[in-house]
Amino acid sequence: MGGPGSSSPCASCKLLRRRCAKDCIFAPYFPPDDPHKFAIVHKVFGASNVSKMLQELPVHQRADAVNSLVFEANARVRDPVYGCVGAISYLQNQVSQLQMQLAVAQAEILCIQMQHEQPLQSHHQVLELDQDEKALLLNNNSINNCNNDNNNLGYAMSSGQFNSNFASPSSIMQMQMQMQDPLKQESLWT
Amino acid sequence: MNPKRCAACKYLRRRCPKDCIFSPYFPPSDPDKFACIHRIYGAGNVSKMLQQLPVQTRAEAVESLSFEAKCRVEDPVYGCVGIISLLQTQIQKTQTLLARTQAQIAVAQAKHSQTQISEFM
Repeated sequence: MGGPGSSSPCASCKLLRRRCAKDCIFAPYFPPDDPHKFAIVHKVFGASNVSKMLQELPVHQRADAVNSLVFEANARVRDPVYGCVGAISYLQNQVSQLQMQLAVAQAEILCIQMQHEQPLQSHHQVLELDQDEKALLLNNNSINNCNNDNNNLGYAMSSGQFNSNFASPSSIMQMQMQMQDPLKQESLWT
Repeated sequence: MNPKRCAACKYLRRRCPKDCIFSPYFPPSDPDKFACIHRIYGAGNVSKMLQQLPVQTRAEAVESLSFEAKCRVEDPVYGCVGIISLLQTQIQKTQTLLARTQAQIAVAQAKHSQTQISEFM
């Protein structure tokens, strides 16, 4: 059964050439009209590993888990050496560059303030930061410190340099989450 | 046969041949590395992936697989995609703050120029 009201096997059971049971763990997430989705996950992770992973999760989290597995599998097929880690490295480089630009801009604001005779705050200018911005500045500083401590996700994708001393995923997640809770955007899956 | 089995062959409880595909990347001193990768990907899939890669890229592939596997163990729902999401959010926020700061610089510079002109007149 490919799901409620459907008599065709799900994409997983079709690929695995087996009967699609009513309680098939894959059926809700791998409809028969998208065979590529399961094929790629099966190629990278293997059907039994995916099944095990889904069984260990509460039902309401399985859709997101499948989407993230599909995302990772696609990344790994596109880039068999670096997979998603390549994307993480690229984004981390972007973050570093933006932080540098922000630091330069903030220094420039301070210079301008110092040059003026009257403080700009009296004209309701400039350093009116809201809570989010203050948190971001503090977080940027702590991330800079972590980067200086060689958190090591940064390597040039294009040049193929690679630093194999990754910081632990939990430490990276921790410093990112100082900002806010993870934003699990729908657009991430598209 | 290797006198000392690699971590993969130890884990899989099998003989470690001289040309074992895992042994250069899974030394016996770090059994958790292979255990984690095996849990997420499976030995067969990892072996296939490595066989399809040029030898000089395999070490890096193993490290990235190891990282992704660790992420998935720590966050079974989102894995390393959670990190990507956080980074994208951080980029958006930093871009917004940068744009705001640059706008404030432009305003401050414009005001400063106006002040200079009025003082000159």
